Amino acid sequence: MEDNSRSKNRREFIQSGMRLSLALALGSVSGLALSKVVKDEYVWQIDPFECTQCGRCATECVMTPSAVKCVHAYDLCGYCDLCGGYFKPDANQLSTAAENQLCPTAAIERRFIEEPYFEYIINEDLCIGCAKCVEGCTAFGNGSLHLQIIHDICLNCNECAIARVCPSNAIKRVKAENSYLIKGDFSKEQES
Amino acid sequence: MESSQFIRIISVSLVILFLVFLVWWLQTDPTAGLDVSMEGADNRGAGVEAQEVEIGEYFKEFSTGYTELSEIWPRFRGLDFDNISKSPTKLIDDFGSTGPKILWTKDLGEGHSGAAIYKGLVYILDYDEEKRADLLRCYSLIDGKEMWVRGYGLNVKRNHGMSRTIPAITDDYILTMGPMCHVMCLDRETGELIWGLDVAGEYESEVPLWYTGQCPLIDGDQAIIASGGKSLMVAIDCETGEKVWETPNPEGWKMSHSSVIPFTFGGRKMYVYSAIGALAGVAADGDDAGKILWHTPVWNHSVVAPSPVCMPDGKIFMTAGYGAGAMMAQLSENNGQFSVEVLSKYPPRDGLACEQQTPLFWNGHLFGIVPKDGGPNRNQLVCVHPDDPQKMVWTSGTENRFGLGPYFMADGKLFILKDDGTLFIARPSTERYIELDQVKVIEDGHDAWAPFAIANGYLIMRDSKTLVCIDLNV
Repeated sequence: MEDNSRSKNRREFIQSGMRLSLALALGSVSGLALSKVVKDEYVWQIDPFECTQCGRCATECVMTPSAVKCVHAYDLCGYCDLCGGYFKPDANQLSTAAENQLCPTAAIERRFIEEPYFEYIINEDLCIGCAKCVEGCTAFGNGSLHLQIIHDICLNCNECAIARVCPSNAIKRVKAENSYLIKGDFSKEQES
Repeated sequence: MESSQFIRIISVSLVILFLVFLVWWLQTDPTAGLDVSMEGADNRGAGVEAQEVEIGEYFKEFSTGYTELSEIWPRFRGLDFDNISKSPTKLIDDFGSTGPKILWTKDLGEGHSGAAIYKGLVYILDYDEEKRADLLRCYSLIDGKEMWVRGYGLNVKRNHGMSRTIPAITDDYILTMGPMCHVMCLDRETGELIWGLDVAGEYESEVPLWYTGQCPLIDGDQAIIASGGKSLMVAIDCETGEKVWETPNPEGWKMSHSSVIPFTFGGRKMYVYSAIGALAGVAADGDDAGKILWHTPVWNHSVVAPSPVCMPDGKIFMTAGYGAGAMMAQLSENNGQFSVEVLSKYPPRDGLACEQQTPLFWNGHLFGIVPKDGGPNRNQLVCVHPDDPQKMVWTSGTENRFGLGPYFMADGKLFILKDDGTLFIARPSTERYIELDQVKVIEDGHDAWAPFAIANGYLIMRDSKTLVCIDLNV
């Protein structure tokens, strides 16, 4: 009887220990996840309404090519045949021939949808963040093309090399939980 | 091994290595991994098939009674093509504490077409998105009562709006041009169809991007249309619909959004038109009516919306958006022969330039709103002297920026409409920008780009979807 009771106690002890370990592990994971959410971590991001498309994002970032890329807010796009972000001003033809394209690395793919609409897709691997397309889209279109810092490329330097030279102070620290300022989702009014 | 033999072996090896490297270097194409961007990668379609359109097929009358008034704003840029009302009617300086006196509003199809006013009636070419039809709507100016509509079924897809033009009205006729270049000539009083013309079909012309913005012209009893395609310009008898003359177009200049502006200089009346390809002057009368009197291919841009500003001394100012900037040209006449000299041509950041609206010429100066690619002066109202359109006489300043909306003068006041439906009153001056008042007329206004029309103190303005009539009478 005494042996049985001892053996039972040992089993219970091991079971309790395992339960406790599991609870501790779950608690740690939850705690870590919670701390990730509530902790005030900041990352760098570009305010698209402040950006003046000066071109420095392409040259000043410590990454080569830059961690700044063009992103496209499709719900703002006019899907125009003559896209100010895709074509050079006064392009000879509205065609995909290199001489007509504004992008120096052909990072924008143009696809015909139906008359008179065309879709413009950014190839992030080719984009160098020069903002030429953003400037064209802002000046002549709806401003659907804009620059953003891509966080899986960005090193999140303590002192962002681009922010240091940005002439319009468009690069600012934002909370990690809202790390992108995409036009359409984010508006100037919301910010102010 | 002797040292000389060793040196020889090393030398031969180096030469062989060099030759191998040279062959490799010559054979290697560093661009082999790159794709060449060629035409056609977007799989552009073959274009839309022409639609069968029965111009003027639809008519509905709603009312016959209206208050007849005395004044008119019969076409694009008004009676004198200068966008300046000469009416003696006194207008308000400010909107007061009660705000603008809005008489009536109407919902319209998305677009930028403007109104013409004729003795108490307002005419506007709308695109009805439900009926899928171009409809000329006639309203009573005083109360906005809809009198009748005349139009035709047509599929037009939304492309930064659909309607864009202003009808031309005379005592006898109404002339409209729809987004896909369908011209409709009606009896003004009854709205009866007189004739119709499918310009793109008949002249094999290209409908401009985002649909045509050309406002048709009635000169005397002739309809003047810049067709592009097989002919550059055509004159049509309003009563019969027969062609009076056609201007040959050997260079294949295309239709733009710009409108034809009549101009008399050097003893000749001519029509000045900025086509895609050149700026040209076409004889308006005489034995050689329809002949190109002069042209300059220096002004050749893919999108041109503003119309030529013709000044009494023969200067012609042209401007356009999308990076085009502006050009000042000097027209000269010698024994009936015309020549044109380009005085200056510059990008938008270097002087007065406009994207959509045609600048005003008032008191010997030009006024316009600089486009978004105009550098530090972007979106500012600026004033220049025609002798040097690159030197700003004044700008409205960074705190007073506008958009692509219209501006015009009436009762010695300058009215400016911002894209969001805010209406400004300013005092015209060649010294500085003097704002008198401003008010938001259209809540949540968007793309308020259509030119103004005014008669008897009643201002007609719109944003992309709402037409508004404001009583500006003192």
